[in-house]
Amino acid sequence: MNKVNDRSRDIGPFVPGPDDDMLICRCEEITKGEIRKAVHDGMWTMTEIRRYLRTGMGLCQGQTCGKLVKGIVARELGVSPAELEPATSRVPMRPIEMYIFANEAKEADVHE
Amino acid sequence: MDTRIAVHPILGETTKGREISFTFDGKEMTGYEGEPIAAALKAAGVMIHRYTKKEHKPRGIFCAIGRCTDCVMVVDGVPNVRTCITPLKEGMDVRTQYGVSAEPFDKQ
Amino acid sequence: MKRYDLIIVGAGPSGLSAAIEAAKRGMKTIIFDENEKPGGQLFKQIHKFFGSKEHKAKIRGFVIGEQLLKEADEAGVEVKLNATVIGLYQDKEVVVKIGEEICHYKGDSIIIATGAAENMVTFPGWTLPGVIGAGAAQTMMNLHGVKPGQKILMLGSGNVGLVVSFQLLQCGCDVVALVDAAPRVGGYGVHAAKVARTGVPFYLSHTIVKAEGEDKVTGVTIAEVDSSFKFIPGTEKHFDVDTICLAVGLSPMSQLLKMAGCEMEDNPKRGGQVPICDENGRTSIPGIFVAGDVSGIEEASSAMIEGRMAGITAAEYLGYMDKEELDKGMEELDHALNGLRQGMFAPKNRGKKITETEEGIPVSENLLTKGYVADDEIERFPGVTHAKGIHPVIECTQNIPCNPCQDACPKKCISIGENITSLPTVPHAEDCINCGMCVASCSGQAIFLVDEDCGDGTATVTLPYEFLPLPEPGTKGVGLGRSGQPVCQAEVVSVKSLKAFDKTNLLTMRVPKEYAMKARFFKAE
Repeated sequence: MNKVNDRSRDIGPFVPGPDDDMLICRCEEITKGEIRKAVHDGMWTMTEIRRYLRTGMGLCQGQTCGKLVKGIVARELGVSPAELEPATSRVPMRPIEMYIFANEAKEADVHE
Repeated sequence: MDTRIAVHPILGETTKGREISFTFDGKEMTGYEGEPIAAALKAAGVMIHRYTKKEHKPRGIFCAIGRCTDCVMVVDGVPNVRTCITPLKEGMDVRTQYGVSAEPFDKQ
Repeated sequence: MKRYDLIIVGAGPSGLSAAIEAAKRGMKTIIFDENEKPGGQLFKQIHKFFGSKEHKAKIRGFVIGEQLLKEADEAGVEVKLNATVIGLYQDKEVVVKIGEEICHYKGDSIIIATGAAENMVTFPGWTLPGVIGAGAAQTMMNLHGVKPGQKILMLGSGNVGLVVSFQLLQCGCDVVALVDAAPRVGGYGVHAAKVARTGVPFYLSHTIVKAEGEDKVTGVTIAEVDSSFKFIPGTEKHFDVDTICLAVGLSPMSQLLKMAGCEMEDNPKRGGQVPICDENGRTSIPGIFVAGDVSGIEEASSAMIEGRMAGITAAEYLGYMDKEELDKGMEELDHALNGLRQGMFAPKNRGKKITETEEGIPVSENLLTKGYVADDEIERFPGVTHAKGIHPVIECTQNIPCNPCQDACPKKCISIGENITSLPTVPHAEDCINCGMCVASCSGQAIFLVDEDCGDGTATVTLPYEFLPLPEPGTKGVGLGRSGQPVCQAEVVSVKSLKAFDKTNLLTMRVPKEYAMKARFFKAE
């Protein structure tokens, strides 16, 4: 079992930091302090953090903050960022309007 | 402020489409057809593209290649348009985006 | 659903190179790119590339881009632009947004060549308008002809930070400082030196404390950091700037591969999340290949070779080439790739502190901490020669894979030898005919033609000059030293702009002869 899965591990209490109000996720406007607190609330994986705080769930889909959030979570857990599984990649990879997402091209158009 | 590069030492003369007019928050402006809306705004000295939904903080161009979505504005009534990769067209109505609206927060 | 032998995602240097190889073998090939124009980052690269002939050395990036597009077109590659791949599945189905529609394609093989995204750092004020990525600066100035700002601070001394700083200077911006938290310059010394000698100060072991301004950037404060990257109180420095440019590394854009189910790993040496792949670019899913930065951050030059490898590997996978031909092709490309992966900046040397060159010469410490070779260090490098009359002085002090200078000299004055990373030497300085080809061919702008004693108490120094306006002969000004500080009076003798120089103008200035080996840039008064 790796350290991230070992939920019995004590990571200590949340200690406020001087840069907790630093904005990390630019789209959803989530701060470093919120991310650190979430870890102490039991959100230890990138997927859990995403669902809990919506970091990386905005328009840019984590393009800018993904690596930053990972670094913060890893530090809080006392593991290397490489040990943290990145959040799930799924369709659509880029922001897209729902009416386009639902607008399947006619087969005839795709076939030249 | 002269922000257009007329002649570049390596790339030579900057070639652009025809000069056209558009509006920014109702104000008449000119730019070149086909260049990104953000480039025309930058050349006109506009830095603020939107104010964020939660904290109402200003944002502008950040990545300029359509990834970060910080430069989104309300264009022809459609919010969240990435101005750094959307070509400028004659008569476009470009507006500062407040949250996801073109209406300032005190009017929302 | 439309079927192709090969579907490539990304029309940058690796994707285009892969497509050319595959299409030449008869594969029905399509490339999707989400951008309006193909070429990836190549069209923003306006400097001459390093390497040897096989790596397209001394050709500017955007010209290489044009060549690749032409080749792809001739080979019959279909390049679909404004086509955003939003999904990739294990059975090699690709979902693409084209215009206002969602289209499905099936590839019998797939090459992912999506490149990289910029990393960012946080500091108070980092979301203010005016804080931009280095890529954004390049896009605005080199693609759209708009200056990213007037007064700019660059954070990051890797090759991107150095190259973009120089490009900012070229388009007329003022770069007030180049800052890096690391104690040593990360990029090529020659890239640093050409920025430093124009007068840009380097602040290593410094980083941004905060960006200032209410609704846009109006200034920036930096401070020195200690070895654990903590600010040292009392070292703060303020600059009035309107733009802060961030060049702090790249991460592979590998999400599509993860989506498809390829085995991934977090490999800091490759820049982050990358697919596990072999040297041909084969991922864990048969028929899905990778090339370029998406499989590990390197240069455009290596991306082009990796692209070609993936292209022929896909061709062999679908029977358009036999194993023997593939092995032969790979051997050749391997050789070319290995050529690029040599020297002080080779991937295997990443993070290592190098203290001497392959020749056993102590490296310039000043170059690593201030961006330029100090006057008392320069003489120890083999290209820095003295001779009667005009002769080349090659201020190339690090082992990098690059050798155009040796072929440029029609008189064979310059030698690098078999090993592409060796420092250039000038065995026949006396044969120099002052043609200037070496100066113009040096991608690092590190070659000068010097006449140390013109007999009247003066010397002449010919330097590469890629700025506008070009000063007229007779223009008086100052000679700047390698540090960018004024060292002496100088007068322009001539400015040569031959077609063969490819936009690198040769500016010759007259300086007092004591400054022949010190003055390295000209600034009009």
